[in-house]
Amino acid sequence: MNRLTSKLQNLKENNKKALVAYLVAGDPDLDTTLDLMHLFVDSGVDVIEIGVPFTDPIAEGPTIQKAHDRALKNNISLKMILELVNRFRETNTETPIVLMGYLNTFISHIDQVQSIGENSADSILVVDVPGELNLQTYGITNPNINTISLISPTTKDDRVESIAKNSTGFIYYVTLRGVTGSSNLNIEEIKNNIQKIQQYSDAPTMAGFGIKSVEDASTLAACSDGIVIGSSIVEMIADESKTKEFGRIGEYLREMKTAIS
Amino acid sequence: MTFSNSNFPDKEGFYGEYGGKFVPETLMYALEELENTYNKLKDNKEFIDEFYKDLSHFVGRPSPLYFAQRLTDHYKSGSIWLKREDLNHTGAHKINNTVGQILLAKYMGKKRIIAETGAGQHGVATATVAARLGLECHIYMGAEDVRRQSLNVYRIKLLGAHVHPVDSGSATLKDALNEALRDWVTNVEDTYYIIGSVTGPHPYPMIVRDFNSVVGKEVIEQSKDLFGKMPDAVVACVGGGSNAMGIFHPFIDIKETRLIGVEAGGEGVSTGEHAAPLNDGTPGVLHGARSYLMQDESGQVKDTKSVSAGLDYPGVGPEHSWLKDIGRAEYVAVSDDDALKTFHEVTELEGIMPALETAHAFAYLEPLMKELDSSANVVVNVSGRGDKDINTVAEIDGIEF
Repeated sequence: MNRLTSKLQNLKENNKKALVAYLVAGDPDLDTTLDLMHLFVDSGVDVIEIGVPFTDPIAEGPTIQKAHDRALKNNISLKMILELVNRFRETNTETPIVLMGYLNTFISHIDQVQSIGENSADSILVVDVPGELNLQTYGITNPNINTISLISPTTKDDRVESIAKNSTGFIYYVTLRGVTGSSNLNIEEIKNNIQKIQQYSDAPTMAGFGIKSVEDASTLAACSDGIVIGSSIVEMIADESKTKEFGRIGEYLREMKTAIS
Repeated sequence: MTFSNSNFPDKEGFYGEYGGKFVPETLMYALEELENTYNKLKDNKEFIDEFYKDLSHFVGRPSPLYFAQRLTDHYKSGSIWLKREDLNHTGAHKINNTVGQILLAKYMGKKRIIAETGAGQHGVATATVAARLGLECHIYMGAEDVRRQSLNVYRIKLLGAHVHPVDSGSATLKDALNEALRDWVTNVEDTYYIIGSVTGPHPYPMIVRDFNSVVGKEVIEQSKDLFGKMPDAVVACVGGGSNAMGIFHPFIDIKETRLIGVEAGGEGVSTGEHAAPLNDGTPGVLHGARSYLMQDESGQVKDTKSVSAGLDYPGVGPEHSWLKDIGRAEYVAVSDDDALKTFHEVTELEGIMPALETAHAFAYLEPLMKELDSSANVVVNVSGRGDKDINTVAEIDGIEF
C-alpha cells in the first residue's frame, strides 16, 4: 500500500490527527532541506510536503513566493528534489512525502515522475490543475504516486463529489479564499464544508492555508483529519537561513502537534 | 448576429492541444460563472446593441482603413493599408475588449475591477471603462514597466484607479498577471478580472478575441469598399496576441489572406534574449493555459527581453499556438533595433507615430513587400499610438528633457 495512504489510515484507526508540514526544496539549500526534513519528523510531523519551486507560483502568498525565488537562485529542479528524497529515504522509510507544485514543472520532468519507485515520493499535489481533472491526462500514471486534489470554499457542491473521487491520497481543503499565508479563517464555514466533503468521500480531509496559531490548529483538527502548516514554517526558515539554528521550528511543530492531539 | 466564425475553442476551452483552465480550485467557480454569463449574453440582442453602441460613441469606431501612400512609395511595391486602432479612444485596440468586459462585469453585478498591464495601454483602457461606470479599479503593473511607462501610470491614476507596482520575478507583465491572479483568488466573490489579452484560462482567450474581432470584421468590409477584394496579407504584432487575434480571427476562413504575426525579437532570436515564444519556445503551462512558452529544460519560465513593454511576455494566447501548428498563420520576429528604426521611419513618412509594439509589425514590411507581388494589398494593424513610448525612445536616442 502507498506509504501516505497507510500512514493516514493508521492515524485514523488510532483516532489521531495528521500534522502535515511544508517547506520549499532548496531554500536555503538542499542539504539544509534534508536536515529540516529530519527535524520535522523528530518534532512530530506525520507527512512532509515538499514545495517544488516554480517561477510563477500563482497560488502562493509573498512568504512562499520568496522561498521559491530563493530556491530557484540555486537552480533547484524536480530531478534534484527526487535525489533529495532518495537521500532522505536512506534513513527514513516511514514518513510519507508529498510533492506540491505547478503543472509545468511536473510535465517537464514526466520521465522522472513516471519512474518514481516505491521508496521515494508518495504523492503529488498540483496546485494549478482543477480538482476534477485527472493527472493521468497529463501522462502521470505511475502507480507508486497517488494524487491530492484541492477543494475550496468556492467549490460548488456538484463538483465536490467528482473531485473527491480523483483524490487518492487525501483531500486538501483550502480553508480560505486567498493565497498561502493569508489570514481570516471562517471556522464555521470550514466546519460545514469539511462535513459536506466527508459525506461524499471516505478519503482523509486535511485543512490548510492560513493556519498559524495553536488555536487555529486545534479548532481545525477537531473537524478534519489533520492540518497543513506552510507559511509560518517557511518564514522561520527564512529568518534562520544564515545561522541555521532551527530549534524554534522544532518547538513550534511540537506545540502544533500537541494542539491537534 | 454571432461573435464567432470558428468552432474553437471546444467545450473544455481547448484550441487543439492548447488552452484549457489551469488554475487553483478557488477560481474554478468564477470561470464557470463568467463562461455561463458570456454564453447567455453573447447572442442577446440587447447586450450586443449596447456593446456596439459603446464602440461607436465612446470608442469612436469604426476605425479607418487608411492608405499609406508614402510608406507604399518607400517599399516601391504593393499597397499598404493601415487599420487605425491608434485612433481609438485611449489610443489603442485595448479599449474594444475592456468596453465588452466591463459590460459583462456590470451584468454580473461585480463592484470591483482588477487588471494587469504591461505597456499600460490595457491599464488605461480598464481604468477608463471603470471610471465611466464608477467602479473601484486596481491595476497591477510590473515595477520595471511602471518605470518605463510612467506616462500611462499617471494616466491610470488620473482616471481614479490604483496602481500596484509588482516587484516579484522579472517585475514585468507576467509578474503583474501573477499578482492579479492572486488578488482574484483572494477577492473572487465581488471582483471581476479584466484580462487584457487572449491569454489566461478559458473562457478569457475566447472572450477577448470575440470582443476584439470587431477589428477584423471591419477590415473585411473596408477592404471590399476600398480595393474590391480581400487583402493578400494582414500583419500584426504579437505579445499575448490580442490585437493580432482580433484582426486575424474573422479571416481564418478567408484562405487567400496570409496572416502574419510579428513577435518581439529583442536582441535577436538566435541570442535567446527576446520575447518570441512562437519562434523559439516549446509548449508549456503558464497563467492558466497551455501554449507556446519560453521555458528552460526544467519547466521554469525564462525572463524575456524586448524594448516594447507590451510584447515583453514569455507566453502567447493559445489560439495563436494552434494557428501556428495548423499552419493557418505565420509567426516571425523583429529585433529591437529594427523596430526602433521603423518607429522613426513610419513617424516621418506617414505622420503617424506607432507604439513600439506596433513598430514591430511595420518592420516586417521590409522583407514582406519584397516577397509579395507588386499588386498585393497588405493591411498592417496599427494596434496603438506611440505617445506613451516617447520617454523610452528619447532615452535610447540619448535625449534628455
